[in-house]
Amino acid sequence: MTSWSNSKVDHNSAGKQPPANPPTLAILCCEDHGNLAGVLTRLRSVSPPLLPASLPRKVVIKPNLCDVVSWEAGVTTDPSWLPVLAAELRGIRPDVQIVVIESDAVSAYKNYRSCDETYDRLGYREAARQHGIELVNLSNSESIEISMGGIPIPILISELFLEEFYFISIANLKVHPYERMTAILKNALGLLTDADISSLHPYLSLLISHLHRLCPPDLCIVDGRIGLQGQGPILGDPVRMNSIIFSNDALAADVAACKLMMIPPEAVPHLRKVAADLKRKFPVVQLPADIHPRSFAFNTSSHGDILLKFANKRLHRSSERFTNRWLDRFLRFKREPVKFATEAVPKLVRRLHGR
Amino acid sequence: MAARLRLGLVGVGTVVERYHLRAVRGVPEVEPVAVVDINEERACQFALRQGFHFATTQKQDLFGKVDLAILALPNGLHASVACELLSNGVHVLCEKPMARNVPECQAMIEAARRGGAQLCIGHNRRFRNNVNLAKRLMERGILGEVIRIEAEEGSTADWPRSPAYFDPVQAGGGALIDVGIHSIDLIRWLVGEFREIKYAGNGTTTTVESEAELRFRMANGAEGKLLASRTRDLQQHIRITGSEGYLDIGLWSDNLRMRGNKGKAFQQLPYLDAYVSRRPPQDASFVLQLNNLVNAIRGEAKVLVDGFEGKAAVEVVARAYGQSAPNIALPAGVSGCAS
Repeated sequence: MTSWSNSKVDHNSAGKQPPANPPTLAILCCEDHGNLAGVLTRLRSVSPPLLPASLPRKVVIKPNLCDVVSWEAGVTTDPSWLPVLAAELRGIRPDVQIVVIESDAVSAYKNYRSCDETYDRLGYREAARQHGIELVNLSNSESIEISMGGIPIPILISELFLEEFYFISIANLKVHPYERMTAILKNALGLLTDADISSLHPYLSLLISHLHRLCPPDLCIVDGRIGLQGQGPILGDPVRMNSIIFSNDALAADVAACKLMMIPPEAVPHLRKVAADLKRKFPVVQLPADIHPRSFAFNTSSHGDILLKFANKRLHRSSERFTNRWLDRFLRFKREPVKFATEAVPKLVRRLHGR
Repeated sequence: MAARLRLGLVGVGTVVERYHLRAVRGVPEVEPVAVVDINEERACQFALRQGFHFATTQKQDLFGKVDLAILALPNGLHASVACELLSNGVHVLCEKPMARNVPECQAMIEAARRGGAQLCIGHNRRFRNNVNLAKRLMERGILGEVIRIEAEEGSTADWPRSPAYFDPVQAGGGALIDVGIHSIDLIRWLVGEFREIKYAGNGTTTTVESEAELRFRMANGAEGKLLASRTRDLQQHIRITGSEGYLDIGLWSDNLRMRGNKGKAFQQLPYLDAYVSRRPPQDASFVLQLNNLVNAIRGEAKVLVDGFEGKAAVEVVARAYGQSAPNIALPAGVSGCAS
């Protein structure tokens, strides 16, 4: 059965540069998990159309391959998307060049995940070989160090983004310990070529907002056939949701994902940031009758543990700095007491005077 | 490991102290051996301080003792000293400009050929990461067809200049040959040859120009303007505009601002700011330049800026200085005629 709904978007508050096409959303029911081709066939009947009438020479697909875990666990993107999308895209433009991108990563738990290994072990290499698709590890590609407003650390992005292409982002329906949920917008973190982006975590929402402006998806697919509840985004339990969200607007797709997981979009920091930066309100999403939302369990105790761990680390670091500073002063005083006194006392006076 | 190349420094002024010395330290394939300077005391002190084996005032003392030399002398001495070293088989890295005029450049090229030595001209900015990124992006066609070039470099007091800088005979010119030649070389490398040029400067037969303006048309039809100054703070950049976007290359920074109209990244963003070298040393181009020469001497690479490239930049300057009178309005408060 085909089910779809259009999101209602306040077009007057769509920001300075509104998307070329008005935001459109379709949520399709997919009880037969092996029939992705059938889902795309139904997508063709959606009006206004979500699939493009024409394509540039290159189409880039970004799946979510955050760990070496099979797609049935709800953690990664199913490689079965490759053949069905390739067939669909080649139906639109036979000579289209299809490229799948992902990058190496170091998770918050400091596990290194090689993109090439995930391509090999999750079946992407084989699917790509069979269907003439190119796999690119962005961490090995030519990259540029760019600056993004408000983030003091330069960001490494692939030179690929300077080219013209149609961009498809395929994400999963998952909870996330810091961001509450993750779908299309957060999937963009895989566009960074640096494997270890832990230093960017304090700026996560801002970074996601910047990345959305850098590379907005033309087609967003949130594969909610199987979602992930629990701690996320790689730990937790799969949930059979039997639904797939399609949209040409990442914010609308993520809000629809929130709706499916029964998470208020306002509770998701990066959604709030992106909406604010785009000067948009959250789109109003009506779920079709055959799509049943479910409150995703959120493992808040382990989330609390993680936050506590980081807080402890910060405390340890600051106490270490404090101790080192006083030890250093003591050693300087012991070495050259006169010089220390003549330098330190005026400094102390200046500081007190300044206060 | 191949034997280290013995290196001599000829002239130990500011550019050597600030940049070349760091490059010598950063290329372990060269062994610092000799220092030559007209000022004996300065040469000795430098050699002692920096761990060179010997110091001298005579360049002939280098023959047989060094394999390559870095020449950082007043412009008027480049050709004579380089020719002597090159014809005796000593490889030379000569500071920019290659020489004061085209015949001097030609003589240096001939000497290198006779002596079987490598000649490298110190247009170090070609080795900067932002310039290299610009080159790579242009080769990828991000700009489409180049239609406009704007270059500006100048400041009030960026460099301690010796009296030779202000003598038309010794220096061969002022702001254009001293400051503007960097941009001339980069524009040639990135875009192509200069076809038509119109020059205006405030130099005379007895003084070098402090201000220079060059309007030009490139062989591909692109038009442009170059401003060089020793007395004004300018924007220190080269902006290359094409039919599909632009590149703005920082000359004093590592920044490259870019826009390619068709690129995915520019669907919503007006431009991207790339910082391509943020780790120390701040300016690694001198190290890369010396590395390039060492690799060329070992037959593993070609010299990126050889004598012909150096000569081509001097040729543009010579054509500019050869114009008898300024035909472009000079900036307010600047007067004079072309030298």
